[in-house]
This record gives sequence, structure tokens and C-alpha cells, in this order.
Amino acid sequence: MKEINDLNLLDDVKYTKSHEWTKISGDIVTIGINDYAQDQLGEIVFVELPETGDTFSKGDEFGSVESVKAVSEIYIPISGKIVEINEDLEDAPELVNESCYDNGWLIKIKPEDVSELDDLMDKDEYLNMLKG
Amino acid sequence: MTTNLETTPLNGWHKAQGANMSNFGGFDMPLWYKTGVKNEHLAVLTSAGIFDTSHMACINVTGNNSFDLINYCFTRDISTLENGRCVYGAFLDTSGHCLDDAIVYKFSDSFFMICVNAGMGTTIALHLDANKASLDVNIKDLSKKVGKMDIQGINSARILSKVLQNPEIIFAKMPYFTFKGNFDESALGESEVKLLDGTPALLSRSGYTGEFGFEIFLDPKCIVKLWKNILSAGNEYGIAPCGLGARDSLRAGACLPLSHRDIGDWKFLNHPWDFALPYNKEKTDFTKKFLGANALLTDKDNSFIYPFVGDSLRKVSSGESTQVINGTEEVIGKVLTCATDMGISWLNGDIVSISSKNLPQDFKIKGISCGFVMVSKKLLPGTILTLKEGKRNITATIVTDIRPDRTARKKIDGFI
Repeated sequence: MKEINDLNLLDDVKYTKSHEWTKISGDIVTIGINDYAQDQLGEIVFVELPETGDTFSKGDEFGSVESVKAVSEIYIPISGKIVEINEDLEDAPELVNESCYDNGWLIKIKPEDVSELDDLMDKDEYLNMLKG
Repeated sequence: MTTNLETTPLNGWHKAQGANMSNFGGFDMPLWYKTGVKNEHLAVLTSAGIFDTSHMACINVTGNNSFDLINYCFTRDISTLENGRCVYGAFLDTSGHCLDDAIVYKFSDSFFMICVNAGMGTTIALHLDANKASLDVNIKDLSKKVGKMDIQGINSARILSKVLQNPEIIFAKMPYFTFKGNFDESALGESEVKLLDGTPALLSRSGYTGEFGFEIFLDPKCIVKLWKNILSAGNEYGIAPCGLGARDSLRAGACLPLSHRDIGDWKFLNHPWDFALPYNKEKTDFTKKFLGANALLTDKDNSFIYPFVGDSLRKVSSGESTQVINGTEEVIGKVLTCATDMGISWLNGDIVSISSKNLPQDFKIKGISCGFVMVSKKLLPGTILTLKEGKRNITATIVTDIRPDRTARKKIDGFI
């Protein structure tokens, strides 16, 4: 597994304690799992996602990511309605390993209250959390 | 995390390759290498893979009463076991609970070797010692004194033939569960099996994947060189070093138990491995007296272990977090093992393997979860269960076997 210093952590996304990332663009927030999470999980073989139109409250479990090693639940960092899911993951779940911030994104959500994102961590805060 | 863990002679090699390491039986062992579990699993099914198994332990039992002691403590009846053959079975306590499973190798009436699991060498050696009474036996715990690696897959013999002296003589007449050579020439005489540099080795046609292959025992000082030589020799065949992840998914698909998970501190009975018990034809009694037999023959505390397959590659965790639920919504047990065999798929209601003949063109093998459940009721093959872990659940079907078209038992002639 990667050393903390070898992790690919972007500057322009925000991080959750449970290792998801979020990025806001206009009024839509894209959510995925970060490099630490995909590295810990190992080869991802299945991604379970909600349906477009489902609504969630901040902190809800919205799906799971299954690797050869384990199944990990994923939690929504912001309340809102799902507007798009990454359908490519059905046939190619390995995209989450290969490109967790780009082709391996999970869902897009229209948030109820964008200020909920303020509670999330930036890269430095997240790194400090990992280092304990 | 790695402090106080034992290491095998290949530990440095694993780490240098960037293997994902974990504690297994008190040893720091590779879970997978950089190419990942799926590639390792498929390499064994389609060509060959090697496994560091030096964490396993060996015990020598020698002396005039060796047979008597082993036949009393081991679940298999070894009275008909020939020299040069080995056999799988288990060691039980007086309650009929399993201490560990093992393979017993017979060199002669007065010389046996027992291969047990990681960290179990001393436990089983002491268990044998406690039961020897006045028998004339010498029990020698070889823990950490034996190097062991396995090569598994259809190209295993072709690859080994490049690192052994006289491979054609060695591979002639070598059926499943036979062995040749030894790694202790001072005790057993000149080894029939030698590496090109003259290192003596014990070569056993067995393994833990359900596929054609060998287990190799030798001086631990020589194993790193052998490992590297086999990797070079196997390069043209696409050989892969494999970690415990692939070992677990391959053995689960082959319907083989993991000691201390699928067999353990409960009665060694009513499971898919009853060939390891010395039943009579009618399965009403045993053909020999052995330690634990009386407890097995009583009707108390019985549970049932069955293999299952999922309906897709999705799996659940093993252990108490997952409930096994039957058709009438009753919780009837727990999951002992759940792994995904990435080399199999459903096709029109049957399971096919990547090694199966006549697969439809462009058919994609997707993987199926599989493993063992322990339940309180007798179940018939075909029974549908729900395995429920929190909000997740998967549908599982009780089966009698999992991955089809396995190669372990096939004639060696087709692989050289």
C-alpha cells in the first residue's frame, strides 16, 4: 500500500473523514472516493450506486464499493438529490482504482445547502488526519 | 503493524516487490503483489503461479511405533498408505474438535513427515507427544527449519523441468498426492529430487488451489534462489507470484477448507471434507479407533457446513456480522468463508470456469462469490439462502462443488 506521502491528493477537492472527495462545479457536487480509499481497498470489483433522483441526508450511506479484499460503505458528505451516477462503473469498476478523481467518479448531487461543504477538510487538514 | 511478526526467508523479496503485507498466523505475509489478486488468481487457472508457504510447519515422526501414533491421532486411516504417498486429514482433540488440518507424508514405516499450518508446528508436536504414552517414537518439530513454496497451474511441471535435475525421471509416474525426494539427506539418504545446483528437495504433487501443481520443501537457506529461478524459468509462461488473497479465492473455489476458519474448535463432522474421516461404506461407523472418534459418533453439538455460491461476484464478510437466513426468514447460521473466485461465471444456470472448454465466443468471466456456511440444520443442494450483512444481502445457493474443470487430479502426462 502507498505511503501517506505517495498519495495523490488534489488541491481543488474537499475530503471527508470517511475518505470520500467532493468537488463543486456550478450548483452540482461530484463525489468519489479518494486515492487513500481506493489504495486501501485494493482491486475494486463492484460499485453499488443509488438511482438518479434518490435523495439523501448528509452522512447517509449511499452505496458500497467492493474490492477483492473487502466491502466498504460510502457516505454522502452533503444532503441533496442524485442527478447523475457514473454508469461506466457497472462494466468497469476498476476505473475507481485507475482514476478515482476523474473517470472513476461515483455520483453527482444537487445539494440542498452548499454550506454543508464547509465542514469538510482541505488537503492539508485531511493529510493531518491521516497522519494522526 | 509488522512488529513481533515472524518472517519467511522471502519476506525481503516480497517487500522489495511492493507486496501488500499482512499478519497471517503470526507471519508477515504477502496478500497480493502489484498486479493484484485477480491477475494472480487467473494466472494459476491459465498458466502458473507461485506461493511462499514457508510459514507452514513440518514435524518429523520417526521410530518403530510412528504408524501407531499417527494412525491414532490423525483422522485418516493410514494403514494402507504406501511409501512415497501423502494424505490429507486432521488432528482432533477428545471432543472431536479440529486442532489443525495436515498432510502426512510417508517415507517408510518408521519415518513420517507431517505438514501443518502456520504457527501450528509446536502445538501439534506437543499434542503428539502428549498422546505417545509408551510408544517408541521420536517427534521432531521442524518449525522454521523448512523452506516451502508451491507452484500451481497447468504449466507447473514445464517450468519446474527447467530448474530440476532429471525432470523426465521425476515426473514419470507422479500421480496426485505422491511425492519424491527429501530435504534431509543425512536422515533419509540421497534425494531423488535435486535442483540444478544439487540442492535436495521434496517435491509433492499437491497444493491448495485445486489445480495441477506441486509443493516443494527444501533448506530455507536455498528458497530465495529457487523462487527467483522459478520466476525466470516461468517468465515465458507468464508465471505470477501470488499472495494470500489469490490463495484464499482459489482454495475457496476449489472447495477446500482454511484451518481455523472453516474447520476449527467445533466437531469435525458434517462438512464437505468427510473424505478426511475413516468412514465405513455405509457411513455409520469408523474403520479405526482414533482420538476424537467417540465424540464424533455422539449426536451432541452437531452443526453442518456447506459450500455455497452467490449469484454474482458480490460477497459478504465472514464471521458474526453476516447472518445466514433461510426461506422462512429464520437465522440459521453464519458465514465461515466468503471469497470471489474471479475465474468462474454463471452461464445458463451452470457455473463455468475460464478453463472450461467450448465457452461462447466473447463470453466474459465475471467472477462468483463462494465459500462455506455453518448452519444448525441439514440442507440439501440447491437450497437458496440469503446472506445478510447489515443492509447488504446476497443470494446464495447450497452446492456440492464450486469451480468446475479443476486440474489437480488430472494425469501428469497432459502437463509435461
